[in-house]
Amino acid sequence: MNGLQTANAPSSKIVVPHFIAGGISFLVVALLLALSTPELVGTYYDNKLIAITHIAILGWASMMVFGALYQLIPVVYETSLYSEKLGQVTFWLFAISILALSYSFWVASFTNLLIYSSILMFFSLLLFIINLHLTYRKTKKPNIQSKFINTGIYWLAATELLGTLIALNFKYNFLTDIHLHYLKIHAHLGLVGWFLLLIIGAASILIPMFMISHKLNEKKLSYAYYFINIGLLALSLDWLFLQSKIGVYIYWLIIGVGILFFLSYVKDAYTGRLRRKLDVGLKYTVISVIVLIVPLITALYLLLTNDTTPFISRLGTFYGFSIIFGVISMLIFGQTYKTLPFIIWLDRYQNYVGKYKTPLPRELYSEKLADYQYYGYLIAVFLLSIGILIKQSIILQTGSILLIIVALLNFINILLMVLHKTKVEELPKYK
Amino acid sequence: MGLLNTTPKKTTEEITEVEIDIIENILSHVMDPEIEIDIVNLGLIYELDYDGKKTVDVEMTLSTPACPLSDAIVASVKESIKQKYEDFKVNVKLVFEPQWHAGMITEAGKLMLGM
Repeated sequence: MNGLQTANAPSSKIVVPHFIAGGISFLVVALLLALSTPELVGTYYDNKLIAITHIAILGWASMMVFGALYQLIPVVYETSLYSEKLGQVTFWLFAISILALSYSFWVASFTNLLIYSSILMFFSLLLFIINLHLTYRKTKKPNIQSKFINTGIYWLAATELLGTLIALNFKYNFLTDIHLHYLKIHAHLGLVGWFLLLIIGAASILIPMFMISHKLNEKKLSYAYYFINIGLLALSLDWLFLQSKIGVYIYWLIIGVGILFFLSYVKDAYTGRLRRKLDVGLKYTVISVIVLIVPLITALYLLLTNDTTPFISRLGTFYGFSIIFGVISMLIFGQTYKTLPFIIWLDRYQNYVGKYKTPLPRELYSEKLADYQYYGYLIAVFLLSIGILIKQSIILQTGSILLIIVALLNFINILLMVLHKTKVEELPKYK
Repeated sequence: MGLLNTTPKKTTEEITEVEIDIIENILSHVMDPEIEIDIVNLGLIYELDYDGKKTVDVEMTLSTPACPLSDAIVASVKESIKQKYEDFKVNVKLVFEPQWHAGMITEAGKLMLGM
């Protein structure tokens, strides 16, 4: 890597709106979850839960990831984004699609609004995929991290294609199996193919960089890449065309081994780190990586059981919840505190460095609020998990209220950063 | 006053050494904004040369080649030297061989990192 990526960095105009929209979406998710605690202990395919899931996955997680990716691309791909203009158009189209899609799920307009909003979503994601793919083609030396991210983008295309087909099928009824079958494939393509690959690609750059860990064995990442992709490809094809009984265990094992290789890589970075004290961003990150084990074990339990009890249905909800809130959101919170302050800092202070005394990036947000948010989030996720598993509404309500407070703290800190006004002091005089 | 000044005149080499000490002191105020330790104690400065004719050459590295703040750190090195020596030319060369490692951190830097 040439170490001169700032020249390729995108304008903050393309990055910052994603973080604001993401912060608002998380707040909306928390509010809607509080209104939907009865649905949380019902069936996981309830239309309101699907609406919340899509706001969480697209409005919150993908929005934040898109923003962070636009910033991270110059670092990982060592080239500038193919088109910033296309990125701006994508942002607005994507935001409108999320509103339309979530609303159509919320009001259960499966045969009307859902069709149009899915097609709109398909095109907005297609623009994003094209922009990133063309950027990837500009890169001279693809590395394992850029491979993870680029392959994740192909899985996003597959996820979105299947999602649109499911939506169209509500009206035109051309698919051979029931919707739930395709919904399961759609969810796994998105969560494992898009998010997991993306998380590994981004985290394997950011974790060693922020922890200051050197000489890590990148072969472990290569093994993780091949195991997870082969496992997921086999799983999807089997689910689509064979539906074999035994195959899923083998694919679970292959994907699981891939995840373990990644965990081992992170463990090496953690134990060999020079920076002993972890800040709030790194604490979130470490926990999100450890929590990866939870959905892996839950998936195995769900595969092994033949029960169709209400508990198993709730375990299905918990499985999705643990991935979205335990892994993905945990990592996004962590990386928001590791990327957004630097994005804003570079934007406000890069012309002042060396000439004036500038604040540090971490001084752009309230560390106290970030700490409250961190502990509040851990408790909220724990309470909501227990509430789902044992079907206890008072625990669910407490957890969801706490989640609203967490979302507010998160949004306040995002605002503190994006509204930060440049403040400089004179440098000490050297004699 | 001038007549009472008995300090012997410094040679060009001595002046250069003094300037380098001052420049190193200036660089010890340039922070890595992420690690929050100055670049001298982090061991990022590999070579520092002053030719005695207003040109400073700095050969330095970064804690990671992927550092997104590299331009800001390089600009900070140049600008902070120019704050004292307005008409100096400052050349900064970023190198990644040898790769930076923990052994390059000074004792004071290790204390700051909690190592």
